[in-house]
Amino acid sequence: MDESHPNRASVAPLRVSKGGLPQGTPPVSPAGGRSPAAGEPGVVVFEVPGDLAAIEGVVDHAVEHCVPARLDRRRLLFNFRVGLTEAISNAILYGNSADPEKRVLVELRAVPGEVLVRVSDEGSGFDPEAVPDPRLPENLTLPDGRGVFLMRELMDEVRFNRSGNTVTLILRDSTSAPSADVELPEAVTATLEDFREQLGLSMAVWKVAGGRRVRVLPLDEVDEADSVSDPPADGAGHDPRGVGGQHRFRIPLGVGLAVEVEVAGHAADSPLVRVLAASVERAAALARDASRNRAALDAALHANRHIRLDMARERLSREMELAHDLQMKLLPPIPRLPHVDAAARVQPAKSVGGDFYQVIQLSGGRVGVMIGDVSGHGFPAALIMALVMSAAAIYAEQGAAPAKVLEHVDRAIGEELESTEMYLSLCYCVLSPAYPDIAYTNAGHPHAFVIGGDGGHCRLRATDPPMGIGAAPYGQSQVRWNPSEDLLLLFTDGLSDTLAHTRRSSGEQLVLDTVAANRRRPSGEILRRLFELCGQATPSIPSDDRTAVVLATR
Amino acid sequence: MSFNMRRLGQVTVVEVVGQLIVGNRQELKRMILAEVEAGTRRFVVDFAMTGYIDSSGLGILVSLSKEIREVGGHLRLASLSEDLRTLFELTKLDTLFDICGTLEEAVSE
Repeated sequence: MDESHPNRASVAPLRVSKGGLPQGTPPVSPAGGRSPAAGEPGVVVFEVPGDLAAIEGVVDHAVEHCVPARLDRRRLLFNFRVGLTEAISNAILYGNSADPEKRVLVELRAVPGEVLVRVSDEGSGFDPEAVPDPRLPENLTLPDGRGVFLMRELMDEVRFNRSGNTVTLILRDSTSAPSADVELPEAVTATLEDFREQLGLSMAVWKVAGGRRVRVLPLDEVDEADSVSDPPADGAGHDPRGVGGQHRFRIPLGVGLAVEVEVAGHAADSPLVRVLAASVERAAALARDASRNRAALDAALHANRHIRLDMARERLSREMELAHDLQMKLLPPIPRLPHVDAAARVQPAKSVGGDFYQVIQLSGGRVGVMIGDVSGHGFPAALIMALVMSAAAIYAEQGAAPAKVLEHVDRAIGEELESTEMYLSLCYCVLSPAYPDIAYTNAGHPHAFVIGGDGGHCRLRATDPPMGIGAAPYGQSQVRWNPSEDLLLLFTDGLSDTLAHTRRSSGEQLVLDTVAANRRRPSGEILRRLFELCGQATPSIPSDDRTAVVLATR
Repeated sequence: MSFNMRRLGQVTVVEVVGQLIVGNRQELKRMILAEVEAGTRRFVVDFAMTGYIDSSGLGILVSLSKEIREVGGHLRLASLSEDLRTLFELTKLDTLFDICGTLEEAVSE
């Protein structure tokens, strides 16, 4: 995809600021006069030349920077890309009257659960309300006039500033509801805001109104907005699906006030491992109580301070439990593919670990197989794992070559790895039941093999050091693959190390021997035998995650 | 991203690989109109390998469909993903186009 965009270099982000601008970077300000959200944490600013061919590259860059939002992948790849394409092409074509000298500024902020992007041009603006409905019969055969309509349909929120030369698009996690004006007494919002800050929860507060959840906190952070698009009348596309209440817990605040926190995200299609949304119980009654007696609330809040520590501990252990559940759900089921027999399993060491795998269906009957092992365990490792998986899947599904996929992942999470001092081994292979080669990139993953029909093996040697230690560009290599006989076998240290405790020969050799001896069996059966072997090993509670993937094309 | 063109009998099939958007829509238009010029009357645009379409992409399909109809031909759309189909439904363009589930269906009489 890069190759088709010679303009891409000119649309690279001007900066990725985390808590402040790099020294010496001149501030950028669009001619429209507003200063961009410079210096705000996690804000990325792109300057787009007045060239329609550059849009796709900018949009792809923007998608990469959305990884921290951990949005539903499908909505990110479709709703977000179409919505942003519309906003930028409108800005170039109508805002800047296609003047190649004029530029468009794209500011993007991705926080867990939400992506906000602001597109500004140098034009004199337009009246979004004056755009006719493209669905009317008289407009249906017109070639133009669907851009604003599509933005509004596909994004959760679309706002234009008063002059109409800046549009703000917001896409939220699909479990979120659209924000709306809520009248709660200041005493309640102030208390909740205190609570939010003190507990350091990354959460939003919602209340239920008219059968719909509406946002109370944090209050709207976009102060530039002059008009707010109408929320869809039927609420379509904003299904406030929770997780059926099973991951909810209540945090009492005293005097009848409680905040309910839940883990957002239905893990099957949305890699969310965090506490996000809360709702205020019995909002109306509480509002009445609270407005009567702010002092009582304050006293209760104070009295609860010591409880809060316990709550924080409680919260942490709950999070670990939830994270484990989510991690297990996050590992996607192996897709059923023609001529592919694949099986995979993870046994995490603690409640959450850093091992993962993915088997991805690619175009043309090809299949992508990935295994990774993040250094360390627990919540941080699982978080990195979630980020890698979502970033990798985005590019793998587009059919990118292994080295490119790893480069994109590196770009998406490099900063996160650096700041947490973590690293990971990652091996990604692309193969097909119809080709005699496997293309792969192996960033420091020690155990990747092709087991031949004769029981011998060929190692997929590392092309690069582990991610977080090495850096882009990544290398790519290939090994022979006999589609009718060979087996692809990927596993992590946890598996072989366990076995090394039990036998004299190396754990890796034992895994290879076991797989070779069972190579003609179905992959699920091979896997079962491997893990059976571990079951006999001591200690039976793994000290490290154990993961294996077996795949054949026959 | 690119457009792959091939002939299946009397039908010219154009496969959209990647995106059909403001940046590349004119290329599709040129390709198809050149075929119209050369006498082809039956067209299928195949979206099996398409990521997304923007409003400009929809617009170009609307105007191509019109031009092809004017010379007595027809344009069918095939293999839309669920997301792409939603796009046509939202804009009510599903009422304007002949949308087929599969390429086989689209190239049949």
